[in-house]
Amino acid sequence: MADSGPGAAEAPPLGRETLARIRRSKQLYPWASSAILPSLWAVQEELGYLTPAALLAVAEELGLEPSEVEAVATFYSMYFRHRAGEHLIQVCRNVSCGLRGADELLRHLERALGVEDGGTTEDGAFTLEGTVECLGACGGAPMMQVDRISYENLDAAAADAVLEQVRSGAPRGRRSRARA
Amino acid sequence: MAAVEAPGELLRVTIDDRQVEVAPGSLVWDACEKAGVYVPVYCAHKKLEPVAVCRMCLVEIEGMPKLQPACATRVSQGMQIRTATDQVRDFRRGNLEFLLLNHPLDCPVCDRGGECDLQDFTQRYGPGRTRSAITDKVHFDKAVRLSDRILLDQERCILCWRCVRYYEEVTGEREIVLQERGVHTLVDTFEHRELQSEFQGNLPEICPVGALTHAQYRFRARPWDLRRTASVCPKCSYGCNIFIDAREEQIARFASNDNPDVDDSWLCDRGRYSFPELNRTERVLNPEARLGGGRQPVAHSEALARAAGALLRVRGDHGAGAVGFLCSPQVTNEEGFLLQWLARQVVGSPHLDHRLEPLPELSPEQFRLGIAELEERDAVVVLGDAPERSAPVLTLRLFKTETKRRRRVLRVPLGTPAASLLEPLQGCRSVGVVAHQEQRSEAVALSRSLAGAGLSSSVLTLVEGMNARGCQDLGVSPAVLPGYQPAAEPGMHGRAILEAAAAGSIKALVLLSPDPEWERDPAFEAALSEVEALIVVTPWLGLASRQATVLFPGRTVAEKAGTVTSTEGRVQRVRTALQPRFPFPPDLRVLGELGGALGTPLGVQPLAGPVFSLIAEAVPPYRGTQGGLRADWGAPA
Repeated sequence: MADSGPGAAEAPPLGRETLARIRRSKQLYPWASSAILPSLWAVQEELGYLTPAALLAVAEELGLEPSEVEAVATFYSMYFRHRAGEHLIQVCRNVSCGLRGADELLRHLERALGVEDGGTTEDGAFTLEGTVECLGACGGAPMMQVDRISYENLDAAAADAVLEQVRSGAPRGRRSRARA
Repeated sequence: MAAVEAPGELLRVTIDDRQVEVAPGSLVWDACEKAGVYVPVYCAHKKLEPVAVCRMCLVEIEGMPKLQPACATRVSQGMQIRTATDQVRDFRRGNLEFLLLNHPLDCPVCDRGGECDLQDFTQRYGPGRTRSAITDKVHFDKAVRLSDRILLDQERCILCWRCVRYYEEVTGEREIVLQERGVHTLVDTFEHRELQSEFQGNLPEICPVGALTHAQYRFRARPWDLRRTASVCPKCSYGCNIFIDAREEQIARFASNDNPDVDDSWLCDRGRYSFPELNRTERVLNPEARLGGGRQPVAHSEALARAAGALLRVRGDHGAGAVGFLCSPQVTNEEGFLLQWLARQVVGSPHLDHRLEPLPELSPEQFRLGIAELEERDAVVVLGDAPERSAPVLTLRLFKTETKRRRRVLRVPLGTPAASLLEPLQGCRSVGVVAHQEQRSEAVALSRSLAGAGLSSSVLTLVEGMNARGCQDLGVSPAVLPGYQPAAEPGMHGRAILEAAAAGSIKALVLLSPDPEWERDPAFEAALSEVEALIVVTPWLGLASRQATVLFPGRTVAEKAGTVTSTEGRVQRVRTALQPRFPFPPDLRVLGELGGALGTPLGVQPLAGPVFSLIAEAVPPYRGTQGGLRADWGAPA
């Protein structure tokens, strides 16, 4: 369930830029409910995850019931309702990756990071997501994405090398733009 | 489900070798029903649009490669439908196995056990056992309090969307949604907020399983322990049809009893959850009379004799005008009619009312429009500040009129001139005006003006109290006789009677089912302490029962038989759902026998049927209506 602790309830209201994007999205569609997805992306880019207060704000901007916005926010796994780590690791577990060792890869990452699937490391550096559907790189299975950059043909050593590279902050190619 | 309006050519379809003809636009589900072939459904509901998510109703249709949902497939000419093939049977078994995969199987402690579609269909179509280990089930929260009225068991839910669609389509409030996805999907409110709707009580009824249950009914009864009686909701004048489900002479719940012309199968929470007051056991249990210093239990016949003696004494000493008669609008038509007979014919007093405040200018013109007719008007004008507050289920009819039927619904404040409505009503030929009874004269005036502008217009007035309409139709009021004939010599209205009693000009009062609310009124208290003779028929202990010189144990609306008239003029039966705790005659017989004891025999048995015949004689529009028809008061003047 969504984080409903006191901190979440007092989350800051949405920034001006985010509100402007929500209003622009609303004008793009005949029904306000169509603007829920782009609005939630805008919120997630600003806050990093979707707080209950933010869902309320989106509902208000779009003139919808908050329950409708929450229904959409909870349906899609790529929206976060908890604060995520600085880097997001997503391990594909669909058929091709599954046949080529995705389960072993995930178990190795769990050990290496000291977290379970879905958890965030204590230092807040990584969030590990191991229940991700196909990320479109079957030819390089097994694969994972870190902050939406794909790494393919992974084994334990290759995965460790990726973690090391990310930790070191070395440049890792172009960061893929989030959808707006 | 919604067949198209224009009948057109009927479509001939075959279902399991039975042939039926149905209107174009009918669903396969409708055709199956017409053919008498039962098709199990979870998500489909007669009052909701199809979604075809539960897959329970899949059937074979010749020429279609896969099974089709009966609830969402329209029939076509010559369609061949099969519901009893091996393929359908296998599919149903498989579907139920999926539905039961994560179901907790806690039927023994589930309120729905015994009237659960999941239980019933599993018995009829399902597999006898599961192939997955019971320890592998996905668990959700149980007994989540959605409000003080509704509990949600998320693991019993089969995700049929009925509650979600109910909120979308019927109330428009969208309080419940589906959250998460796949095996984790559950129904919930935003951030677990408490439900606010006035119509939550319909949720457990549309839920096909035990996911949504009434807090009030929790662990109260099993359906096979209940005795079901069709009656009318007593909480307001709208006339919603209900079932009174009773166990061991206690009401366990009110359930809806779909009348498409009235409630459309929805009840409001105020009505549905109102029954505990009818279960109260602190009651008047014996006839009593004041003898010498105190009051004592007496035989029914002696109570009658004493009541008659007291009334004759007052009439002899002070004239018939010294006797006043008051009832609440909770009385039946038969009781109200006999009360006015007792006042006017037997005692000869014009002082008679069914409420305290005056209600001048009564006429059937205030009531020409029927509830279901609202949907057929091009536009509905709702006059004044939310008149539907006094008949909440009207809210849902107006919402349906506006959304599903796409009619114009205009909410206008009092004093709106008809001329200013002509523009928003442009293109409309017929219009209905809805108003609370306090605004009925203004509603009639507005309707007349609209009629003057060429529109067909009529009024639906909402009266206060279960049978206030019947009391008005049957002349239980000071200025009109039965059938709205003006009284030659109008009597005093309710409050004037009380004030006259306190001032000493009314010496005797007859109270039939007095409204317990009146006891908070100083005028009521003053009147009761001043009158010489106080004859009271009431179920309830209180000021009236304490002060009575002669007291008869009355019956609650759940304990008597008769008819009541709803605000739109529909004459509907109330039936005896509970046996009273005492062996004494019902209110109607008390009234009839009191007439006899005063020297004017009633002439018929004091039972609901014979008395209704007297009503039909005196008020011709009531002829033949007691099966639930609207009394026809003729064309507009």
